[in-house]
Amino acid sequence: MVGISEEVYREVRDFLLREAELLDNGSYRDWLDCLTEDIRYQVPVRVTRDRGVESEFVNEMGHLDEDYVSLEMRVMRLETEYAWAEDPPSRTRHFLSNIRIEPGDRDDEVRVKSNLLLYRTRGDDPHYDLLSAERHDVLRRVNGQWKLARRLVLLDQTTIGTHNLSILF
Amino acid sequence: MTLSVGDRVNQVEQLLRRVKQNIDEGRVPAKIYNDPDIFELERERIFGRAYIYLGHESEIPHPGDYMVRYIADDNVIVVRDEEGQIRVLFNCCRHRGMQVCRAEMGNASHFRCPYHGWTYRNTGELVGVPAGKEAYGDVLDKGAWGLRPVPRMEIYDGLIFASLDAQAPSLNEYLGGMTWYLDLVTKRTEAGLEVVGAPHRWVMDANWKLPADNFVGDAYHTLMTHRSAVELDLAPRDPKFAMYGVHVHAGNGHGLGMISAPPGMELPPFWGYPEEVVRALQRSYPRPEQVEVARRINFLHGTVFPNFSVLNVMIAKDHRSAPTPMLTFRVWRPVGPDRTEVWSWFLVERDAPEWFKERSYQTYVHTFGTSGVFEQDDAENWRGITRVARGLMARDHDLNYQMGMSFLKRDPTWPGPGEAYPLDYAEANQRAFIRQWCEYMLNEA
Repeated sequence: MVGISEEVYREVRDFLLREAELLDNGSYRDWLDCLTEDIRYQVPVRVTRDRGVESEFVNEMGHLDEDYVSLEMRVMRLETEYAWAEDPPSRTRHFLSNIRIEPGDRDDEVRVKSNLLLYRTRGDDPHYDLLSAERHDVLRRVNGQWKLARRLVLLDQTTIGTHNLSILF
Repeated sequence: MTLSVGDRVNQVEQLLRRVKQNIDEGRVPAKIYNDPDIFELERERIFGRAYIYLGHESEIPHPGDYMVRYIADDNVIVVRDEEGQIRVLFNCCRHRGMQVCRAEMGNASHFRCPYHGWTYRNTGELVGVPAGKEAYGDVLDKGAWGLRPVPRMEIYDGLIFASLDAQAPSLNEYLGGMTWYLDLVTKRTEAGLEVVGAPHRWVMDANWKLPADNFVGDAYHTLMTHRSAVELDLAPRDPKFAMYGVHVHAGNGHGLGMISAPPGMELPPFWGYPEEVVRALQRSYPRPEQVEVARRINFLHGTVFPNFSVLNVMIAKDHRSAPTPMLTFRVWRPVGPDRTEVWSWFLVERDAPEWFKERSYQTYVHTFGTSGVFEQDDAENWRGITRVARGLMARDHDLNYQMGMSFLKRDPTWPGPGEAYPLDYAEANQRAFIRQWCEYMLNEA
């Protein structure tokens, strides 16, 4: 990748893998620490359009459209005794690939694209849900550590094939 | 030895008779929530006859705008033609039946079938048949082979409804007294509502009647299902907050609840809508009684039989924010006895201030919709119920639908139509919904 050193590539890849591990392990407080305070986390709705239309994504509506406070709210909710959707917890597994990195708009930022396959099961049902998406992230170096400043999740479905999104991409 | 068709028909009839007999005692067999034969009958007797919500006019604002929607399994194109008229056309080419429209939405003056190129104007009129002269000579009468409109289509305040039953009553007759209550939501301003963006669509392994039942009259579940939201101050601190309201059966199986502030707590009137909207509704509501009823509403939930629901509530978008009103429309589209596709729209007044639209949108996305922290927990219940209703014990398993039956009396002073009960911890609406369902299923509606 042009303009990205081996070292930065390794650091960014390690960050993404660690971040995914935290989500799959349910370490949500640690995951919140991976975010900048001005984090924007968006999963726009997608609708099928004819070929040639500029984009299938609907900017005005998101399945998720979050800032730090709302993500914190989601974590706090899981810490109450009443988060039934995740009690018992879903089992998730984030599979990342196709990591592509570019310099960001600022010296302390990089733009990262990755492909995500998110596997999910609940209870004793062997049926699994598989969600596929491309993620467009902006990582920012804060006090020597990479943090997630922006995530745009471009889903490969228009009708979501899981019963809710109580899990994160 | 497998069950004969006759056995299965008997079983379904027995189940339905049982529902009809026992509903007046407040007993409903759990089996209706997961049975393939009940489902097959519903396709015909409910979804083949009732009015089904397709979408809102504001989703197709310009001539040529179209969206592809469903009436259960029937695929329809909802399009605004070049003259501005809305049409609902069966998405099925008249030649060999191919879907002429395969995108979910867009803008088109014509629909062209990819199979043999038959081309229809967006009014449905057949205008182009490739090799028409050579293949058909003078025989094909294009006028007789246009895209078929659905048998009935009517619009109430921008809400587009359709029915597959040519003998269906008018939409106004069908809605009956429910229009008075829909007005509370649709007529706050002259310019009315608009859908923001596009609906959320997701699939859940639950029976469609469960969310319909929940929205028609279940305020009770908020104290446990949505307890996490109460703990985080997204909803009023009193876990029983949703009790303090009016539970109204508006007739024909339609019902709603309108909840006010719990005792000792002050909440802003009119759902906490901004000044501009509050001023507007006082001019825009048809009747002064509607203003007085709306004044006391902070949370409104309802269902139009069979599967269109409304939720208009004042809740907080996160644990650090004050509550903001938001409005969502729902269709619980039946896909299978244990599978439902949820369609969830967010709407807001067209001429509300921008800051309000933004806040209300954020409130909707965080609390309801695909990832909403309230909505997530509802799905958990409905999936679980559907799961355990799959087996044999569910046939004889009477669910308790008796809340309020012994003591809750109608409020004779209620200024709106229908039967009003002075407590939203009630199940009169749920019983009325089941009764209506039963009438359709037994062909008595």
